[in-house]
Amino acid sequence: MSSVTANLPVLVVIAPLFVAFILTTFARRIRLVEGLVIFIGILGFVGAGFLAANVFIKKTPMIYQVGGWPAPWGIELKAGNVSAFFLLVAAFVSVPVSLFSVNNLSDEVGGKERVTRFYVLYLLLCGAMAGMAVTNDLFNVFVLVEVATLSCCGLVSSRNRPRAAEAAFSYLIMATLGSTLILGGIGFIYIITGHLNMGFAHEGINKIWQSNPHVVWMAFSFILVGFGVKSALFPLHVWLPDAHSAAPSPASAILSGVAVKGYLICLLKILYNVFGCTLMREFVIHRILVLAGTVAIIAGSILALMQIELKRRLAFSTVAQVGYIIMGIGLMNTKGLSGTLFYLASHAVIKSVLFLSAGAMIAASGKKNINELAGIGRKMPITMAAFTIGSLGLTGIPLFSGFIGKWNLIVGSLELGNVIPAVVIVVGSVLCAAYLFPVIRVAYFEPVPEEDWKDPRLTQKIALISLALAVLILGIIPGPFLELAERAAVELLALK
Amino acid sequence: MSILIEKLIINYPYFFAVILLVIGALTVLTRSSLFKKLFGISIMESAVFIMFIAAGNIRGGTEPILNGHNTGAVYINPLPSALMLTGIVVSVSVNAFALALIMRLYKTYGTTDANRIAELRKEVADR
Repeated sequence: MSSVTANLPVLVVIAPLFVAFILTTFARRIRLVEGLVIFIGILGFVGAGFLAANVFIKKTPMIYQVGGWPAPWGIELKAGNVSAFFLLVAAFVSVPVSLFSVNNLSDEVGGKERVTRFYVLYLLLCGAMAGMAVTNDLFNVFVLVEVATLSCCGLVSSRNRPRAAEAAFSYLIMATLGSTLILGGIGFIYIITGHLNMGFAHEGINKIWQSNPHVVWMAFSFILVGFGVKSALFPLHVWLPDAHSAAPSPASAILSGVAVKGYLICLLKILYNVFGCTLMREFVIHRILVLAGTVAIIAGSILALMQIELKRRLAFSTVAQVGYIIMGIGLMNTKGLSGTLFYLASHAVIKSVLFLSAGAMIAASGKKNINELAGIGRKMPITMAAFTIGSLGLTGIPLFSGFIGKWNLIVGSLELGNVIPAVVIVVGSVLCAAYLFPVIRVAYFEPVPEEDWKDPRLTQKIALISLALAVLILGIIPGPFLELAERAAVELLALK
Repeated sequence: MSILIEKLIINYPYFFAVILLVIGALTVLTRSSLFKKLFGISIMESAVFIMFIAAGNIRGGTEPILNGHNTGAVYINPLPSALMLTGIVVSVSVNAFALALIMRLYKTYGTTDANRIAELRKEVADR
């Protein structure tokens, strides 16, 4: 048992990748494939839970050296508090999403024989996300980012519509531009420090930045723009609405909920573990992040308000929510960072439940515009209840998970004596209510239509209910989870 | 000024990398042909590869193989070349996937021009 525990950081990455390739061998037995995907999802969640418990109790990061080579020469996987936190979130969300897609995909991807391909890409994405959480090596970051990007593009294009192929192509071009820039930024760090391991690169860069400030600027700007494209930071978000609204619903949920967060976690790790706090303050990187986040919140919310399609509105809402997380990364204090991590987790859960319930409504009614969904709340009570809980959570009503993240972000920004982020967060919440509550109003308070719209089948209901419950549980008893986020924030700020 | 030119001449691989990066980025952003966008991406990636490999090279260095003959010599750094091998593999898979998508788009719209596709999309009903 202890040997399994010691190998957990690598097992959570390898298991989904391994199963992804096994799946291709029984492509025709869809039941078996679906069972295996859910099984590996639950296994991954249990593994992530063990890992998080281990890190939480022992209070030291778990380090795994690939091939037994020690750090400067070999590749190192390091599961600290940040990694454990994100692993837990990604592993949790992936289970209901795969449960939702059981027996539901063949229409959207165009034929039963294509369902397996969807699951292969899905598991590759899960593996890449777990890898991004635990990796401590800069080149590994690039490789995993590419694995995630290609599987995301594959998931988008798996929908059997011309629009999906188009969205996937523009996503692929933008994302590859982003990963090229990331590789360039990693190259600059490697050239001036000679290390790819984050810890050693951090030491190297601290010795050298005063004599080579320009290279540090280049590295920082390449990495920020690269990850900005990947995670749809506001002016670089153009690919996201098309890609996330054209993808099949479970894919939209995992892309908006988890994939975007994986890139943000990588950015967070590179900024704090490689550049470090001193350098971020010296190069006013934190101010840039707060500014970018502020702009993204306002602009993303206004763009979301202007959409009439439900899935596009949710996609633009993701652009706004990424703003909160980027802003929180720039606050650089314990409250702000724990708030941003908690918000990241709560948004992962909330956006998944919103996209899944929207997908269920669109599949049942065949309508995709918001005003055409009049009265759907009476016909599909469970789906719409899940959507309502998600909306309340995203808006940040107390007792729902979004509130705790936003509260900590506001406290964090006030601790800095900076009122503007706090005001923007409140304004963003009001705008969020403005673009999500009309959906609820239309669904519940408009005349009930004649059509025979029904709640989806049992597995999908279970998926929706479990995600909605998670929103409530995170909001009412955030205790240990918030504690993990706070420890992660302390861990990030400890590196000077 | 002469110092600047001297530095540029000494560090010519980096200079080429920057030029290639700009050419690639401009091609991606300004050309409407899907193929040319893909070429732009490839050129950009090559620029980064050149930068990495130039960083690993040491003038007058030999290959880092211990075979008893070249002991005491200066070795080049093999790590960037090895990393870029991975980078090239990634780049090839991106190209393959993008070409497959272009094929699918061509089957649907009969053109590989991004502007033309945007016009046609309004005509083709999005079911």
